[in-house]
Amino acid sequence: MRDDEQEQSIFRDIRVIIFILAILASIYFIQPWYSSEEGLTSNLNYGLDLEGGSWLQVKLQGALVQLDADSGLLVKEIVNINLGEDIEIQSVNDGPDETTVTFTSDSLITNNQMDQIGVGQTTISRADDVTEVIVYSSKEKLISTYLGDSLKAEVIPTVYSDGTVEYEIRTAISQEELEKLMSDVGGSIRTDSNGDAIYREGVTTETRDLTKEILSEKLNSLGLKDIPVRTAGEDYIIIDFAGIDLATARDIAEKPGKFEIRIATQGNESKHVLYGDAIESVSIVGYNENDGQWYVPFTLTDEGALALQQVAIDTGATSDPLSHNLIMYLDENEVYSAPLSYSAAAKLEEVPIYAWQASTGPDEDSKARAEQLQIHLRAGALPVNVEIVGSGQVDAALGNQFKEQAVLAGFLALFGVAFVVFRKYKKRSILLPMVTTSISEVVMILGFAGAIGWQLDLASIAGIIAVIGTGIDHLVIITDEVLYEGKLPPKKVYLTRITKAFSIIFAAAATTIIAMSPLVFMGFGALKGFAITTIVGVLIGIFIARPVYARVMQEILETNSRYTE
Amino acid sequence: MEVGLTERLDSFVKKHNDRQLVAIPLAIFAISLLILALTFATSGSPVKLGMEFKGGTMISAETGESLQTIEQKYADYPINDIRQAGSRVIMQFGPMSSELQQELISDVIDSYENVEINQIGPVYGESLQQQAIKAVIISFIGMAIIVFLIFKTFVPSIIVVMSALSDIFIAAAFMNIAGIELSLGTVAALLMIIGYSVDSDILLNTRVLKRRGTTPENISNALHTGVTMTSTTLAALVVMYLVSTYSYLLSSSLSQITILSDISIVLIFGLVADLINTWMLNTSILRWHVTNNATRRRRA
Repeated sequence: MRDDEQEQSIFRDIRVIIFILAILASIYFIQPWYSSEEGLTSNLNYGLDLEGGSWLQVKLQGALVQLDADSGLLVKEIVNINLGEDIEIQSVNDGPDETTVTFTSDSLITNNQMDQIGVGQTTISRADDVTEVIVYSSKEKLISTYLGDSLKAEVIPTVYSDGTVEYEIRTAISQEELEKLMSDVGGSIRTDSNGDAIYREGVTTETRDLTKEILSEKLNSLGLKDIPVRTAGEDYIIIDFAGIDLATARDIAEKPGKFEIRIATQGNESKHVLYGDAIESVSIVGYNENDGQWYVPFTLTDEGALALQQVAIDTGATSDPLSHNLIMYLDENEVYSAPLSYSAAAKLEEVPIYAWQASTGPDEDSKARAEQLQIHLRAGALPVNVEIVGSGQVDAALGNQFKEQAVLAGFLALFGVAFVVFRKYKKRSILLPMVTTSISEVVMILGFAGAIGWQLDLASIAGIIAVIGTGIDHLVIITDEVLYEGKLPPKKVYLTRITKAFSIIFAAAATTIIAMSPLVFMGFGALKGFAITTIVGVLIGIFIARPVYARVMQEILETNSRYTE
Repeated sequence: MEVGLTERLDSFVKKHNDRQLVAIPLAIFAISLLILALTFATSGSPVKLGMEFKGGTMISAETGESLQTIEQKYADYPINDIRQAGSRVIMQFGPMSSELQQELISDVIDSYENVEINQIGPVYGESLQQQAIKAVIISFIGMAIIVFLIFKTFVPSIIVVMSALSDIFIAAAFMNIAGIELSLGTVAALLMIIGYSVDSDILLNTRVLKRRGTTPENISNALHTGVTMTSTTLAALVVMYLVSTYSYLLSSSLSQITILSDISIVLIFGLVADLINTWMLNTSILRWHVTNNATRRRRA
């Protein structure tokens, strides 16, 4: 009655071969090992809640907005904030590339003062006790300077190709506070076509990544190697501190690094100029068209600029820049060394310089070096204000105990399931393949975790137990469909039944995956593990393990019916 | 016992007509809605929000000190709740300033062994809350779309979706009765209920609509398979719940594992609700739908 095909060995079935390969690969990736010294070891990574350690979740404070304001009022406010002078705006010319503002004042205003404000080139003339100042700037420069000076924070404008300008305000500010600030300069938050204000809490992806990099850099420089810093959602960063308690972790994250600038004197000797607190702001990396070099712009405080001028003159760096490099250190390590440019050296003889550019060179490598230097200049100070919004700790011994309990829960769950299955079918020939299939699914999930370096945490283990549950459900569907009349049906009927069973299983699997996927894509750190193990487990189950179970069932039923015949 | 339950449920379904059968799950659904509405009226949200959604600090540690001693020791902090499980003490604090937080954490780490700390800022908690609502809604809509794609006809699809909705509502109402707060773990469990709930409904509908044989026979067959499925899953979850919640009764130094305990207990509620909804609500409406269709076809 049976045709030749069914006589074929089960081990030549492609489904079975894939299954065996998957199991072997999983064992390879898990690498379970037992030694008397270390006990049971494996290649699997565990989350902090099982390994012990602490974690911090920080929110990056900031806002992304589009703004408009009156250039004249902007200049008036900026001068007022910085110099305490009340000035008279004479004329404003808003060109497409440049904004020119002319103002007058009774007081004396120097070039130096205007440089310090840093809104752009200025021409100053004085006649009849009246100072006339012409400022050549741009609207975005004026707006970002005004906001930056008012909020004591960095404000970075980005000009898009269609001409719109987005401002990233790197500190927490509510929409109302911003509206108020803008109305002081005759401006407002721009609105979109629906009339809604273009205001979003948060920072740009670049800023988020920069913050993440600075954090990593800083933690590594403290000798804490391999501290993973992850981004979660758009505005959050999670830092895992394995083996470190929460109080220490918070200290580390909040403590800035030590930055210092020195000027070389003779041989290996150098003279101290300033520390990181003298650096007022660090801007983003730029490319100078004139000398073809990448550079990092930064500005110094009053004391910083004066100290640099003094030391440069004392050491002779202003007269002979090439033999007196300006050297920067972060936590005692040299991070930059270059001579003053001749123009800067000459200018320093006369006045202090507030706005500096540290050039790194012309090529792509130099760009990377500039980006690195930008991080160093910040001395571990983050580009945006951060707020610790979540944190946690699990002691190592407790984590270990969780691990043991969770594994115990997994095993007992499997026994519980096996018990129910046995009560229902009362046949070892069904129980054994069912439980084996279920175990094989767990092995493959662990193998997958080992292969991609996924960290198993408590939520992932809950996911695995949930998968044992759905997995057995599906095996029950297959079994009942096949055993419909209690004995093996003819091959053709068997195949249609299996197909039917699988159509139910696929439908059920699809809904589980859809139901879980929001957890993977949304910013719930703790639940991602649960969702991923569930989804991976369901996929492994329907594509690798359950087809083989169907094949094995067929084999067993055949053997059984051969005996009974 | 499982077999006993299956037979009893089977004969119960057979003995009662559609109207009687549908009344039970609808009544339970209505009671659940009432409970959720009451909770909403008194607390502002349909389920009681846990620390992760309100913000605050949870600290659990091993100690020999009495609850009173500890409560007095931390009287200066916004302590909300303190309880004991075996030799461990679990404390819940409300939101506090960063400095106070640092002080509390340092003190706890220095004084106790086997410390577990979880802290969530109130603003972040609120955003988690919104995300959780969004996740449940997206998940539910996604499930509904898949179900409609599978069955392509209105009545079978809508009852599967309705059962799932009722499962979630009943599970949430049970949470209120049992005093379980909404945490990240319970949100995951509610989403998982969406997944689990549909399994047995799809089985039932497929067996009844796509298999030859009489409807009562098909229902009875599906019920046998379905109850086995649910009871195997229940077995796994009950074990997970017991191990994660009550292992300290065996050895007092063992700790509760909150996330496992939360996930398993809510899933257990959901699965029990699913037993009722699949085999009474879904079954009765489907039975009515099939007989109605058949009579209409005969008349035509």
